[in-house]
Amino acid sequence: MISIGIDAGAATTKAVVLRDNEIAGYTIIPTGFDFRKAGEKAFEEVLSNCGISESKVGTILATGYGRNSIGFADKTISEITAHARGVGYLIPAAHTIIDIGGQDSKVISTENGKVVDFLMNDRCAAGTGKFLEYTAKALEISLDELGTLALVSKNPANISSMCTVFAESEVISLRAQKTKKEDIAAGLIESIILRTTAMVKKLGIKPEVAFVGGVAKNPGVVKAFEKALDIAVLLPEEPQITGALGAALLV
Amino acid sequence: MVEDGIFLKSLDLFKEAFPGRINQILKSKEEGKKIIGTLCLYVPDELIYACGADRVILCGGRSATIAAAEEYLPRNLCPLIKSSFGSVIDQKCSKTKSCPHFGLVDLIVAEATCDGKKKMYELMDKYIPTYVMDLPQKPENQNAQEYYIKELESLKDVLEKLTGNKITDAQLRNEIKSANETRKLLHAIYELRKIDSPPIRGTEMLKVLQQMHFLSPGEFRKNLVLLLDELKLKKRENSGPRIMISGCPMAAGNMKVPEIIENRGGLIVAEESCTGTRAFWDLVDEKKEPMKAIAERYLKIPCACMYPNERRINQILKLAGDFNVDGVVYYTLQFCHGYNVEKYRVGEALKKSGIPLLSIETDYSGADTEQIKTRVDAFLEMLE
Ligand code: SF4
Ligand code: SF4
Repeated sequence: MISIGIDAGAATTKAVVLRDNEIAGYTIIPTGFDFRKAGEKAFEEVLSNCGISESKVGTILATGYGRNSIGFADKTISEITAHARGVGYLIPAAHTIIDIGGQDSKVISTENGKVVDFLMNDRCAAGTGKFLEYTAKALEISLDELGTLALVSKNPANISSMCTVFAESEVISLRAQKTKKEDIAAGLIESIILRTTAMVKKLGIKPEVAFVGGVAKNPGVVKAFEKALDIAVLLPEEPQITGALGAALLV
Repeated sequence: MVEDGIFLKSLDLFKEAFPGRINQILKSKEEGKKIIGTLCLYVPDELIYACGADRVILCGGRSATIAAAEEYLPRNLCPLIKSSFGSVIDQKCSKTKSCPHFGLVDLIVAEATCDGKKKMYELMDKYIPTYVMDLPQKPENQNAQEYYIKELESLKDVLEKLTGNKITDAQLRNEIKSANETRKLLHAIYELRKIDSPPIRGTEMLKVLQQMHFLSPGEFRKNLVLLLDELKLKKRENSGPRIMISGCPMAAGNMKVPEIIENRGGLIVAEESCTGTRAFWDLVDEKKEPMKAIAERYLKIPCACMYPNERRINQILKLAGDFNVDGVVYYTLQFCHGYNVEKYRVGEALKKSGIPLLSIETDYSGADTEQIKTRVDAFLEMLE
């Protein structure tokens, strides 16, 4: 049996093909303006990656912020339920999931791959991938560089603004004060860690802790998380596909 | 929630009441009646009607009037306060003209509840005469009732002076009796929401309760009788995870969160709010001396402005049990400190009882609709 999960995220669209309960292939593409188009493209791409024809596909399940725009999906499911299922498949020992995506961040408490409680950050970009993306721009470095640069910092700068727009101006004034680039980078990461750990602590840490979403690919953030939570975090091989995988598993 | 396509005709009486009620107020005014505006449940209707005045609620639930209010009020203030104030100051604006009753109000009887409202009342007074009654902040204190009765006596004087009518004990008793009738009718309707497939949905019920202090008590009661009759007759198949809403009031015009919950498959079976149980739960003891009985009843309203407020937590737990609730959606307006801070203790209590909680803090804009949908979906999926 072949099923497909599509995670229509704000920044990237992910698709996973599941064949007889095994991952047959996946793809990650930028979402752009149109959720529907991105969904269609990811769908076609993942099928051609795996060499599977459309007629063989059983059920398609959509998740993510733009899930209701994926008209060709048979069903939709929230990304919280989907991540819990996907992480449960890849890392069965995980009971706490931290997901930092482009648009929002969430912490999910699970039991056997099922959600028992969750928290999501409120309506703004603070504490999300967008925060790092914008502020990295103010440092004139890429997102990847931000993470690696932060690793060498010995004295992280104190970024007090939670708001992305204000943090951006704070970065500019720190640069004017000749603060080291790596210290600013580390400060930015600490700022989003602070936000997210507050959510994790509110929900309660149940080991193991899994970290997923685009931001989990950033080694600086991962290290800072482990330090702040005082626990090793587990990463799936590809942290961005757990939502799509969960959707494919939930058909 | 699954809809069955059966309509309740009597609900239209509440929905279509607006123009009729405005005409009614206009007529009352022509007949020399005074119109009182209120913004909180702590101001007893009984007193207002006992002195022959009429009353309309001025709580704003619409976002259209907020921009006008923000010329005077800070942005980071509860939207209910801004919306209400906006309707008062912006009478001539075409967008807000749909609240013509604001212009008909002779006196606003306000109350010392949250700080935002209290300070707003000082500004409001410039546009419509506003009288603020004080409330004991520790209503369980020994002398609280005595103090509240004194405040009620002062209010009585104010109302008597305004209308030229005396409030007699007999009239008060009459009003208490009628108001209790309304409360009993609402209890009877809520009783029907306890069953497996309740005949009325939360979004329908909310629209009824939003009219409670807009319509005249007599008209509201008459409509409730018809609604109750219809609910007893019609069997409807309403299903879905049973949700209780708890938190800030949802003034008329504010339907965002309940609509999302029911559109996404949830079924709201109770609302612990001022547009819910807090508006009618306790009766006034008809055997006691009227002022004392009124004070007793009104001080029991478990508003988050009060301290301590253990009673609200107990009430939430009781309702969750009685209405067989699967999960609670804790609803707060942005910058409402009382209900936002109380959320923590409510959450702890629910956790102990094993009742899942989703908290949503929002305003009157539609900006966060998608985010709320995601959370509500995840919550309902979790409950299923
Ligand atoms: S929430 Fe409190 S202040 Fe607001 S209407 Fe209710 S009782 Fe009054
Ligand atoms: S919702 Fe809260 S902040 Fe707003 S008026 Fe009522 S008590 Fe005050």
